[in-house]
Amino acid sequence: MNKITVHCTVNHKPVAVEIDPNKRLLDMLREDLNLTSVKEGCSEGECGACTVIFNGEPVTSCCVLAGQAEGADIITLEGVSVDGKPDVVQQAFMDAGAVQCGFCTPGMILTAEALLAKNPAPTEEEVKQAMSGNLCRCTGYAKIVEAVLLAAERARGGV
Amino acid sequence: MSMKNYAVLAQDHVKVDSLEKVMGTAKFAADYKMPDMLYGGVFRSTVPHAYVKKLNMEKARALPGVACVLDHTAIPGKNRFGIIFKDEPCLVDDKVRRYGDAIAVVAAETPELVHEALGLIEVEYEELEAISTFERAMEEDSPKVHGNTNVNVTKHLEYGNVDEAWEKCDVIVENTYSTHILSHMFIEPDAGIAYLDEQGIMNVIVSTQNPHYDRNEVAAMLGVPQNRVRVKQAVTGGGFGGKLDISVQLHCALMALYTKRPVKMVRSRSESTMVSSKRHPVTMKCKTGATKDGKLVAVDCYMTCDAGAYSSYAPAVIGRAPVHIVGPYECPNVRCHAVFAYTNNPMCGAFRGFGVPQAAVCHEGQMNALAKALNMSPLEIRMINAHHVGSVIPTGQELTESVGFLDTLTQARDKAAEVMPEALDRLMKTEEGGL
Repeated sequence: MNKITVHCTVNHKPVAVEIDPNKRLLDMLREDLNLTSVKEGCSEGECGACTVIFNGEPVTSCCVLAGQAEGADIITLEGVSVDGKPDVVQQAFMDAGAVQCGFCTPGMILTAEALLAKNPAPTEEEVKQAMSGNLCRCTGYAKIVEAVLLAAERARGGV
Repeated sequence: MSMKNYAVLAQDHVKVDSLEKVMGTAKFAADYKMPDMLYGGVFRSTVPHAYVKKLNMEKARALPGVACVLDHTAIPGKNRFGIIFKDEPCLVDDKVRRYGDAIAVVAAETPELVHEALGLIEVEYEELEAISTFERAMEEDSPKVHGNTNVNVTKHLEYGNVDEAWEKCDVIVENTYSTHILSHMFIEPDAGIAYLDEQGIMNVIVSTQNPHYDRNEVAAMLGVPQNRVRVKQAVTGGGFGGKLDISVQLHCALMALYTKRPVKMVRSRSESTMVSSKRHPVTMKCKTGATKDGKLVAVDCYMTCDAGAYSSYAPAVIGRAPVHIVGPYECPNVRCHAVFAYTNNPMCGAFRGFGVPQAAVCHEGQMNALAKALNMSPLEIRMINAHHVGSVIPTGQELTESVGFLDTLTQARDKAAEVMPEALDRLMKTEEGGL
């Protein structure tokens, strides 16, 4: 199989990755770029564990061929923290107790980041809508919704 | 309830490992990479019950990039494991007992090569009748999944005198309840990596709820003392009981032993769902009697279950479900006879509650049925019978402290009156009430 080279921006840095053309974006991020925060839960776009921010939108990276990322701007959880410290959403997930086993957490946080970037003051209903593509099997969703609302409030300087 | 100043209770604490988890640095089993690492996969049966007549692994072995292809003859120690009964093979030797039984394992340089090699393995089966229901399993002429009986485990609970109690009852209700098989669907599919270290100790890093048990099984399979095996639990992405059994531990360790290289296995969602344990589907035929003022007098339940191809935690589940058959209610006469059978269905095991949620479907259904028969509200009949300090449960144990059920019911009722008065109103009606 002839390899292709994908040029894109990952976590604010330009990268060029040589890959097999049948490789999924999920595998390129995990294997070639060692960004193992991107989790594989179902491999068919159902669970949301492999969510990355792709040109501003939360996207399940298991359903994207790496070649489709040509020219794209991609953010994984590794690209969210600030100087090695949790950002406002990450901190809110900790403070609200929205983390249990942690496997869905990267996707949850990235979906929340994408929502808040567009809508800094979402209603509870809007948060639930935005997070509906991310499954959690441990905690239920109350604390996750609470964490996103807390992050929004803190980001606006409310708390 | 007095509010003391506790060190932990009612205090805010940040979960100990949440920082790594929100930062994405928590290392789950599939995140491990080692130099010279191989990838492993399993060749699984596509029939539920069969003898393996022929197994041809030569084409797979000949594929460049394949490091090993192994069947049961490669196992140096014991080829039977299981959390309570040792009835499951690491690799099928005598016969296939369920769809998805492991017949051979492959280690290769890439996941793609593993996939290709698995496709080159050829098997020939002599198929047997598949047992797919409890009823068929118990028939005399049914093929036996293990040994000479399909009875996996039985339990009998006898408390008070049920036979004499019926005449003291003003009302008796009889119903049959069935619960269904269920997958835990932990969000992280099973995964692990095994390697021999410089001291020759087999190390297994795995997504598990049960590392000490895993170590014992790996040691037995390898035929080495337990101090030659080290199992480390990776950060584990949910389990709920479904990661108490062996998943990839034995297969990884066996291939690491043969190849002298680290071997990593990551199950796909479908493979994980196919072979991980399930919640026991239980059928409960139950007769419950009470006095006209709603006091429970007697419960008699016959409980049956299709426990699947291997025992896993069935002997524990069958211990829990019967003792909870009357739930959090006082009852002086209780009988529960439980029979769990082997079939060729997926293996059932530990799942949040160990059979107690199944029993709840029965006792709550019976409480509603009694309430209806007695023209009482479903809430009232529960409050009349609720456990309190001093209650004696069907095991003979007296509850001496910390019985919060009645308080909880009372507070839930008061809260419901405040926030959902219409629903409470429905609940308090004798006609259509139900929880």
